Amino acid sequence: MSRSTRRIVLNGLGILASFFFAFPVYWMVNTAFKSQEQFQTYTPIFIPTPTLDNFTRALNQPHFLDYVRNSVFVSVTTVLLALIVGFLAAVTLARVRFRGRRSFLLLVAVAQMAPFEALLIPIFLAIKDWGYNWVPTLIIIYFIFTLPFTIWSLRGFVAGIPVDLEEAAMVDGATRFTAFWRVTLPLLAPGLVATSIFCFITAWNEYLFAYTFMSEQTHYTLPVWLVSFRTFLGTDWGATMAASTLFTLPVLIFFLVVQQRMVGGLTTGAVKG
Amino acid sequence: MTRTPPKDIAHRGAPGPFVAPSRYRNRARIIHDLLPYLAILPTLVTFIVLLGYPLLLLLETSMQKFGLYEIINHVTTWIGLQNYHDVLFQGPAGLPDFLTVLFRTTVFMLVNVSLTIVLGTLVALLLERLNKWVRLVLTAAMVLAWAMPVVTGAVLFQWLFDSKLGVVNWAISSLGIFGDYLNHSWFETGLTTFGVVTVLIVWQAIPFVALSLYAGLLSIPKELPEAARVDGGSERQIFRHITLPALAPLLMMLTFLSVIWDFKVFTQIYAMAQGGPDQQTITLSVYSYIVGIAEQKYGYAAAASVVMMLLLLVVLIPYIRRMIRSLEEQ
Repeated sequence: MSRSTRRIVLNGLGILASFFFAFPVYWMVNTAFKSQEQFQTYTPIFIPTPTLDNFTRALNQPHFLDYVRNSVFVSVTTVLLALIVGFLAAVTLARVRFRGRRSFLLLVAVAQMAPFEALLIPIFLAIKDWGYNWVPTLIIIYFIFTLPFTIWSLRGFVAGIPVDLEEAAMVDGATRFTAFWRVTLPLLAPGLVATSIFCFITAWNEYLFAYTFMSEQTHYTLPVWLVSFRTFLGTDWGATMAASTLFTLPVLIFFLVVQQRMVGGLTTGAVKG
Repeated sequence: MTRTPPKDIAHRGAPGPFVAPSRYRNRARIIHDLLPYLAILPTLVTFIVLLGYPLLLLLETSMQKFGLYEIINHVTTWIGLQNYHDVLFQGPAGLPDFLTVLFRTTVFMLVNVSLTIVLGTLVALLLERLNKWVRLVLTAAMVLAWAMPVVTGAVLFQWLFDSKLGVVNWAISSLGIFGDYLNHSWFETGLTTFGVVTVLIVWQAIPFVALSLYAGLLSIPKELPEAARVDGGSERQIFRHITLPALAPLLMMLTFLSVIWDFKVFTQIYAMAQGGPDQQTITLSVYSYIVGIAEQKYGYAAAASVVMMLLLLVVLIPYIRRMIRSLEEQ
């Protein structure tokens, strides 16, 4: 095969692959903007005449605002909790050499990969007397889901900022605290943002625990609602896709912000092996 | 990397036997030494209360006869390893037994992991060879699939594969090669349901694998393959002897991660098919949910969860060891 044919074939494959990855997402948005007649056809319509009917139907579902509120409240509080607790531990791990540091690091690594699904039964039994169907329960559960990753990720970001910068500030008369606050913290901002977004997405997307514990309708989070909504409405794919689009939108925007940093996160050091 | 501030050295070396440390200095030093522990204390407490305690409770429950009766009457009946025996040899009535589910889950995991890793590697190699614009388009398309919440993915794929109005059936029928697929129901048999779930999982998992591997490919020095080419090495030889060894550690980590994720997958299967049709797509996580929460056989489900956790340790331990080791090399 000549060089130019090879290039054409490869780029053709690239376009085909792009189509494979993008098409389902396109189809979700496409269906969301269709009218009832447009999505209920055997021959699919690829470029619809857009209408907002589906969005109106989805948004007018009873309790919809409750679900949005629950999801936002749970996700944001989880992020704040994980960040406050995790930040202290991360900075300590990255900057201080203390007895037991190694064991603590190991503990965080193990907790990060722990199969939380296996803890569904004991958590269910532990909280059945008090926390059942109480939205803050989810915050506590998501907090422990996200804390290990928060520590792990922030530790990496802090370690990436040379300690010399702080020391230089201290030579100039700053205290250790001011040096950290004025020099390291601003450099840490992108790391804090990336980590928060990751925690937010984890909490925002979680289904199993929310589905198990929030049995009363007004306590649903958006994922629980989305699945039940689809089962309940059966054939109203328009409203279902409109709801899916709305649910996905914030995640997509956040994801684009941090995508570059996510690639390295979970395989830290694999390059060195 | 970590250094103690100068003032610390001063008072650590200073107090000899004849110089009584001032009370102030003494206290400052104690606080200074305690500070790291104070900082990790909230995390430790969280781990103990929210991770350690449920874990103990899991082990405890797995050794008890624990169902609805015990919950209502607040009685505790210890039965030793009976639940583990039941998990292995005697499944609950009306549900598939544990070993069947374990076998099914393992096959499902192997298929998904192989597809993810092989296709992910191919896409990474493709990315390297594309021209700039196509590469940008492909990366953007993959980010879309990757960012999609799992729940949305599950709902969306039901729509794509809908028997009457689904675009997939329309596309297959229009191709004309496989005959008429209109009204073909994908969720009628276990195998095709697994097929749809697999397409969904692989669709969402390739981007992470491919983009990680592509980053790894970029870190291979360009001189190596070039030198090999000058010496007459074929593309296949270059891949086998240069690219693959360089990517091996990364591939290993990605495989570990995929095994862990695909072995305990719940949402995709449950949201799409609830383990159906006829319980044919019940995998381990779905099993613990159905037996434990829906059927309220807490003791049995706890034992099954413990077994699942022990099986996962086989992959978790080497993964975590690698992570820690790489940190220490930094």
